[in-house]
Amino acid sequence: MSAVAEPNERAVSRFRTRLSAAMMLVVSIMTALGLYLAQRNITTNAERDLQQNFQAELSSLHKLQELRHAALAERCRVLASKPRIHAALEDNALDLLYPSAKDELRDLMEGEEPPSEQAASNLHARFYRFLDNTGTVLPPPNLKDVGILSTAEEVQLAFKKLPDTQQTGYLLRAELGEDVVDEITVVPIFSTETGDLISALVVGFKPFEFAAKSASTGMKSGIWVNGRLNLPSLAKPAQDALAGEITSVVTKGDRAQSNFTVQVSGAPHLMFYKRLNPNSLLPPAYEVCVYPLAGWIAQLHRARWQIGGAGALLLLGGFVASHFVAVRFSKPVEQLAADSEQNRAQRKRAEAALASAAEELQRSTRYSADASHQLKSPVTVLRTGLETLLAHDDFEPEVYEELSALLHQTHRLTGVIDDLLLLSRMDAGHLEIKPEAVNLSQLVEEWLDDLSALPDSPQVKIEKQIPAKLYVAGEKQYTSLIVQNLLENARKYNRPSGRIRVNAQQNAKHVVLNIGNTGRPVPRDAQPHIFDRFHRGGTASAISGHGLGLNLARELARLHGGDIRLVCSENDWTEFKVYFPVAQPATDRTS
Amino acid sequence: MGLRGFVCFNNAVFALLPISALADAVVEGRVQLPKSHSAPVMTKRYEIVTHGAVLSTQPPLAVVYLEGSFPKPKSPPTKHVAQKDLAFLPSLLPVQAGTRVEFPNLDDTYHSIFSYSPAKRFDLGRYRPEERPIPSEVFDTSGLVTLRCDIHEHMRGLILVLNTPYFVMTDAEGRFRLRGLPSGQYTLKAWINSKTTQEKPVALKSGETLHVDFP
Repeated sequence: MSAVAEPNERAVSRFRTRLSAAMMLVVSIMTALGLYLAQRNITTNAERDLQQNFQAELSSLHKLQELRHAALAERCRVLASKPRIHAALEDNALDLLYPSAKDELRDLMEGEEPPSEQAASNLHARFYRFLDNTGTVLPPPNLKDVGILSTAEEVQLAFKKLPDTQQTGYLLRAELGEDVVDEITVVPIFSTETGDLISALVVGFKPFEFAAKSASTGMKSGIWVNGRLNLPSLAKPAQDALAGEITSVVTKGDRAQSNFTVQVSGAPHLMFYKRLNPNSLLPPAYEVCVYPLAGWIAQLHRARWQIGGAGALLLLGGFVASHFVAVRFSKPVEQLAADSEQNRAQRKRAEAALASAAEELQRSTRYSADASHQLKSPVTVLRTGLETLLAHDDFEPEVYEELSALLHQTHRLTGVIDDLLLLSRMDAGHLEIKPEAVNLSQLVEEWLDDLSALPDSPQVKIEKQIPAKLYVAGEKQYTSLIVQNLLENARKYNRPSGRIRVNAQQNAKHVVLNIGNTGRPVPRDAQPHIFDRFHRGGTASAISGHGLGLNLARELARLHGGDIRLVCSENDWTEFKVYFPVAQPATDRTS
Repeated sequence: MGLRGFVCFNNAVFALLPISALADAVVEGRVQLPKSHSAPVMTKRYEIVTHGAVLSTQPPLAVVYLEGSFPKPKSPPTKHVAQKDLAFLPSLLPVQAGTRVEFPNLDDTYHSIFSYSPAKRFDLGRYRPEERPIPSEVFDTSGLVTLRCDIHEHMRGLILVLNTPYFVMTDAEGRFRLRGLPSGQYTLKAWINSKTTQEKPVALKSGETLHVDFP
């Protein structure tokens, strides 16, 4: 059993493993998909939030900046329309230009630079210059009054052609060894007399500082102009590297504002740049803000780890669940496999047993058949010899008696052998019945006659109730044998002055023959065995017989599709019931 | 003052001339004035406008004067350019060099009259109407002086400083009459605006009236 079951068990466990693996795969894919989506979601959300925060912060700064810028522009416009400045320019009094402007711009130029918190409301100019109608800077008589600029820096303020609208730009210069950025506003001055563009006022302001306002978020801002970056909160090399990066981006695309991620001093930063002076004739300047992403990335990492951990737990749970489900699913299959295996084993065993039994039976029947044949010939020789001896008349009378007893025994032996032969043929399945309609009534009649004619028959009364012409289906020879056996037994086991009752009736399927006789009944414990071979109902051995008759009769009856049963055997009465199949009507009345 | 009399007419100033010269030559005629672009002005108020590249009065007026070398008056006359209703009144004032011009403030607000013109640079600073003495300047150099107000940038006035005592402003049609002129060969000029001055040579004879039209 175990050898057979082993591969089966393996198959079942393989099935379980496969089922479990498939479910785990599904669980894994689902989890991975979920994780991927969740993580992508979290990343985009975080990015969007960051962008929004960033933009909000920037836009609030830009609003302030614009406000200040508008104030600056208006202030400059008012300055440029001052009658004295116009008078100096228009009435050919350039020597009075800067002195007049000094008065007019006194409030802008005098005093210390205001702290950056007040920069938006407090306008303080660092320098101013006038340009003549060719765009060249008009040299100021006293540098102190107009803000000190080097000649090279002054040249940067010049235009090839005077702009006819207000311009904004930025100037990056060195002041006391430090890089300084100035926000420049250029206001054109038109002659009130001719309407011609006669001059321009260039005013340099301290640019609006983001630093103080954005310090809390870690955002750093600066200004890029002419390939140089002024972002004081960054180290110089980082500034230069960033400036190069911005230069390449700015010169490549002409987008006015954009953002991207950059490495600043090895740390990722979100960089945002915006053109400060769009549509200006002055060199383009960009406001540059860098926002350290380290904290954000750490946060993102943390979120990713959390999601990953949750996913792993989920996966583990899924695996466990899938394992249990697989085990649970494979249980019926396992049971089924085991059952079928058991069934097969049982069937195999039964088949083997059947085969061996059949073989044994075959062997035994063959043996008994051989034995019968081998026995029959010596008996015949014996009987013939005995009969020859009886034919002699010169023996003593005792010898004759002995010889006839011997001859009787040979007859008995022949009967036994015949019965054995018949039985063995039946056992071997070689006995074929050719059924025909047999007149049972006639048969019983004949055998009853024979019975009474027997010499040693005790005085028994025979009661007979048999309908005439009762036909049964069967081979006459064997049907006769059945009737003979039962009737002989009824006589044989009867008591003196006993009786034999024979009756028969026909029902739907069978013709039932009842044969009862008086006499000592079969002991109760022997009753189940009376149809066994070589069993003689526990009777006295004085009664002739060899214990094959009832067995043979029943086998024959069954072979015909009928049966023999012991109805009762008690109180001086033993009765058998024989079932014969009803004869077919077609074969009726022929015999 | 008794010896020298002033004849003042509205908008037309006749220079003081010696009594003996009263019977001298007269020039009359008409200056072709530029067409006025604005609607007829009912109040006859004139102001200085810049039109294109030129300063002129609106409606157009011209100053006709006799060019020549004449002695400066020993005691310079005093003229007035008032500020009234945020404008100079008169908006164009021809004066002989050496004339003192007072700038009374007739408005209720401050004015700050100055000029960066090469002919005369001055700056009166801010002053109120009750400022006394009335701020004044002497104009010694001939040329056109542009008057501005530092407070009211649109205010513009002109003072035409001439080296001659013989000048007259035309009326709105450009007609003029210049009397008491000395006889001799002179150049008669007509100042029409800051960029346009026309001139014609004239031969003046005592007692005669010469008719000259510009152009």
